Amino acid sequence: MAISHKVCLLGDFAVGKTSLVRRFVYDRFDDRYISTIGVKVSRKPIVVPGAQGPVDLRLMLWDLAGSEEFDVLRASYLRGATGAILVCDLSRPETVDSLMSYRVQLDACCPGARVVVAANKVDLAPDARAQALVVAAAAAQRASLTYTSARDGTGVESLFRALGALLVG
Amino acid sequence: MTGTPANSGAGMPPTESSLEELRAILVQPERRSVDELRAALDGLQARLDDETWLAAAIAPILSEALRLKIRDARDEMIEALYPIIGQTVVRAVSEAVRDLARTVDAQMRATIGPRQVWRRLQARLRGVSGAELALRDALSFTVSQVFLIHQESGLLLQHVARDTADADTDLIGAMLTAIRDFTEEAFGDGRPEDLDAIQVGDRRILIEAAQRVYLAAVVDGVEPAGFRALMRDCVVAIAQDHAPALRDYDGDATPFDAEGDRLRRLLATEAGDARGREETPAPMSRGQKVALGGLLALALACCGATYALGRWGWAALNPPPPLPTATATATGVPPATAAPTATATATATPTVTPTTTPTATPTATQTPAATAVAPIVGAMTGNAFVHEAPALTASRTGAVIRLGHPVEVLALSGAWAQVRWTTVEEGERTGWVQLAWVATLDPIPGAVITPQAGP
Repeated sequence: MAISHKVCLLGDFAVGKTSLVRRFVYDRFDDRYISTIGVKVSRKPIVVPGAQGPVDLRLMLWDLAGSEEFDVLRASYLRGATGAILVCDLSRPETVDSLMSYRVQLDACCPGARVVVAANKVDLAPDARAQALVVAAAAAQRASLTYTSARDGTGVESLFRALGALLVG
Repeated sequence: MTGTPANSGAGMPPTESSLEELRAILVQPERRSVDELRAALDGLQARLDDETWLAAAIAPILSEALRLKIRDARDEMIEALYPIIGQTVVRAVSEAVRDLARTVDAQMRATIGPRQVWRRLQARLRGVSGAELALRDALSFTVSQVFLIHQESGLLLQHVARDTADADTDLIGAMLTAIRDFTEEAFGDGRPEDLDAIQVGDRRILIEAAQRVYLAAVVDGVEPAGFRALMRDCVVAIAQDHAPALRDYDGDATPFDAEGDRLRRLLATEAGDARGREETPAPMSRGQKVALGGLLALALACCGATYALGRWGWAALNPPPPLPTATATATGVPPATAAPTATATATATPTVTPTTTPTATPTATQTPAATAVAPIVGAMTGNAFVHEAPALTASRTGAVIRLGHPVEVLALSGAWAQVRWTTVEEGERTGWVQLAWVATLDPIPGAVITPQAGP
């Protein structure tokens, strides 16, 4: 028995949301979906430990466009999400600042959604301020923080597994 | 090349090997270049020999060149391509029309059953010809896939397919939901308007939504009347049956496995199958049955009343034939003549014909009526003045026979009819009216009723 969950990836433009998904799953859909309607959906089945044994989890990953032109649509796409990954770019502190607004938007649409924070591009020279900010942001949101690099794969698997564990927990 | 004798071995002739060495030093760069060029040429030659590579290499340039050419010289390109594309299109269209004609022909030959006859009759009543109906029936319709999708999350609840199921059905379900959300936001103008259908080439995705779930059916062809209603009924039933599970959907689609059969019924719909839903009326309620019974009783009562009135009217229009004695009295014929007429046989006629005592009025015409001719009954088709003789110039009697009044035709004279009618006030009267105002149930036997010339 597989349990499906809708998971949204949220974050500013070019923080690496699509790259994280691409790294995590092999998807067949073209990225042009994002520029056309502001979203692309991918699927990744994983097995996570549950209270009564391993659980087959099917993550439906909704990669939402980060650009402002899709701000209006974002609320529609968030409907029904049970999980979310807030993604920021460690080399750009302003992308960390935006995390809170995404969280507010998410809570408005999906109050019970489980959230993890991904501090992406850890392979680049991290900005010290951004590092401090992301730790604070994750703590403020009571969300687990994972340092990731879509380029070399650092932390990607554990990021999605952490969210999976939250979803079945 | 310069050098001093001291360091170049003055007086010593240069040996072949040293010259060669010198040459090598001098042309080494050029030789290297030549080698590189040769290698590059060889590589290029090898690539040119590889048709696949060559096609891939020139394809982008070719398509761009074509695009530019079409933009700059459209007519020229059309003329150039028409012999190829035009014939291809004509062939494809001809083949398609032939297929359609064959199908229509087969339909026309096959449609002799009562159901088809009934459908044709219905089509006629709706202003559609039999050929159009056959054409409509010839357009095939198949449902290839049906998706049951949770509206809010876009998660796939159930999916059935005519062929092998696609592995990406849950992705398709999610993207369909995303597209619905997009169109609702982009074109809904703030109103909750749903996307009804998506056209994908020859295929369409028909969408019917309930409160928390929606159905998407991938169809080929034109859906029959009632298919949408079938979809709507199906999705509404599912929404009602699983209302709690849909409201708090936890991602477990197992409870919806049972809905596979319901979806497969949609999948099995062929052209014409769904029509029955519209045409087959629902069973009547008790109230409807009572109302229908009352209407039938009323109709029967009306029929009975009409029959009774008809009988009464007929009786009124067909009074018992006048006694021959009355005729005899009017004409002054001796009573003895009445005896033969009472027998109503032709043998009595010769007795009457030689009227030896001509009267001033053509009342003698009543004599034959008293013989063998049945009364010619009719009614007035309009209000008419009664004249004393069959001519407009003849003086009027002062009577007017009203529209619908029953009359008995006694004689004809050109466009005039001598009639007898009865009124409450004046009793029975006779006179001449224009034949145009008299309608009779049977043709008037003019040869029999002929007025005798008046004096």
